[in-house]
Amino acid sequence: MEGASEREREFTLVARKPCFGLPTACPHCLPVFIYLKLAKIPFRLDFNLTFPDSDQVPYVESGAYVAYNNEKGGVIESLKEDGIVDLDLELRSLPEFISSKAMISSWLEEAIIYELWLGSDGTSAHNIYYADLPWPVGKLLYLKQIRSVKQRLGITKDNAERREAEIYRRANIAYEALSIMLGEDDFFFGRPSSLDAIFLGHAHFTLQALPEISLLRNRLVEHGNLVRYAEKHKSECLEAGSSSSSDMHFPPSSSASAPRQGPSHWSSKHKSKPKREKTEEEKTFRKRAKYFLAAQFTAVLLFLTIMRRSDDNELDLDDDDGDLDYE
Amino acid sequence: MEGASEREREFTLVARKPCFGLPTACPHCLPVFIYLKLAKIPFRLDFNLTFPDSDQVPYVESGAYVAYNNEKGGVIESLKEDGIVDLDLELRSLPEFISSKAMISSWLEEAIIYELWLGSDGTSAHNIYYADLPWPVGKLLYLKQIRSVKQRLGITKDNAERREAEIYRRANIAYEALSIMLGEDDFFFGRPSSLDAIFLGHAHFTLQALPEISLLRNRLVEHGNLVRYAEKHKSECLEAGSSSSSDMHFPPSSSASAPRQGSKHKSKPKREKTEEEKTFRKRAKYFLAAQFTAVLLFLTIMRRSDDNELDLDDDDGDLDYE
Repeated sequence: MEGASEREREFTLVARKPCFGLPTACPHCLPVFIYLKLAKIPFRLDFNLTFPDSDQVPYVESGAYVAYNNEKGGVIESLKEDGIVDLDLELRSLPEFISSKAMISSWLEEAIIYELWLGSDGTSAHNIYYADLPWPVGKLLYLKQIRSVKQRLGITKDNAERREAEIYRRANIAYEALSIMLGEDDFFFGRPSSLDAIFLGHAHFTLQALPEISLLRNRLVEHGNLVRYAEKHKSECLEAGSSSSSDMHFPPSSSASAPRQGPSHWSSKHKSKPKREKTEEEKTFRKRAKYFLAAQFTAVLLFLTIMRRSDDNELDLDDDDGDLDYE
Repeated sequence: MEGASEREREFTLVARKPCFGLPTACPHCLPVFIYLKLAKIPFRLDFNLTFPDSDQVPYVESGAYVAYNNEKGGVIESLKEDGIVDLDLELRSLPEFISSKAMISSWLEEAIIYELWLGSDGTSAHNIYYADLPWPVGKLLYLKQIRSVKQRLGITKDNAERREAEIYRRANIAYEALSIMLGEDDFFFGRPSSLDAIFLGHAHFTLQALPEISLLRNRLVEHGNLVRYAEKHKSECLEAGSSSSSDMHFPPSSSASAPRQGSKHKSKPKREKTEEEKTFRKRAKYFLAAQFTAVLLFLTIMRRSDDNELDLDDDDGDLDYE
């Protein structure tokens, strides 16, 4: 991977669909988009519409190279470690750089997840993840995701209020620290870095995809310089314009064919990794189909059992009468 | 709450039992202990042995004042905000102070939780939390906790390896950053602060309570200056000696009597008692419900096979009758 050929390579970012005026509305995808923009790397933007709970999206591919969201610390870290795109060359060993990124990817990430799934009415989440799926499937996945988020954030009926207060408190502390760190500068560390990418991603998502009554959004807006910073870079970061040559949409015609159509379209030129993705996604889909069938089967079984038992009860009564007569 | 009367107040820290040479072996309790030590506040150390999954422990009480673990950001933050004990006066607004504490209480906390419950054979966890409970109860709570930790860390069969790699990777990055930040200084920011308290708590726990084969422990040991820093403050931080006048052990004779120790305090410990008892009653209900369901199922199966026999007999009877 020589530096000279970096800009000649074709990069494709596969992310979730655009919404709310954002080129991609998913809070995990947006920082990757912005990172590539800040690095001034031309790339194509493709969309994955059929697997809202896939951990692998977003991913960046180029030739046989793929950097997935759920490996090696994520897409941005993979791109850095593999020497593809590294904005953080001099910042690697700066403790405040490292700890600030840790703070954003833990406290602010939790706050976004809470706000998106538990702190609002679910409209934003629906528009981002489920708008292209048939309603029952979308609804089921949404409920499953809510339960998963509660488990991940350790929220129960007993501690729901306390946990919510804790999440907002930490988000506000993070905003304060970042606000002090930034001041009125253009970037956190003088030049564009992955820290700018992930915080700009967070800020734009919070400002545009969350409703105006959102508590998290209100906390962010209290820090004027952070909002100005986001506005300052808006056109540079969020333009889906000249860099991405074509947007390809994959219609969700039938959910049975969708898993096979998406990955197989790309895997014609790639070998090992997309094949594994197809297998994983298909495995997940088959598992879901099995659960659904099992639920149906159980319901039918229960119904038959109840019917049969009431028949048994009727027979017993008749036979008791019959026995009495017989004697 | 005047500054002058601070040192005259009696403070009691209720934490989990000591083990592994640590005054309290629970990774959430140890930083609070060390914070009070660094602040040179005399306090009594009491132990809560009966509710290993209680979110309220550790807590610090003094008179009618209580600072619980699961409120207002935790015990240390409560003590600071309420003006009781604040070591961070000039550091509050320093971004690197704030972000470093965030990094420790997210990435390193997750690493400890992973290592304690999923990354080792469970001996450490058993000794810290369940050693004083009857074996079946301890085992059940342990299994329940493992499941809860997997959910919290988002670990499934499919992604277990990836998540483990991610957790260790983040822990190592955190260690590197802290190592660079500390250098060979005595404290992270010149004087003792809550950052020192929470990292010393993490470090001593990792070095002493985790087994030597622990991957997390090995990562920490790679950073020599962090280990030296921990050793430097060991006697100051971990001595359960002169500051704490008496260690009271509460025998787990009956779990119903343990919560009533707060006879001189009013509102908050009463609420704690109610919560703990509520949890205990809920568990008892689950157990009884499970028993009841098992009995029901058994009766149902027995009855259905009786019905089947009756049906056959009656069919024969009908035929004869005709």
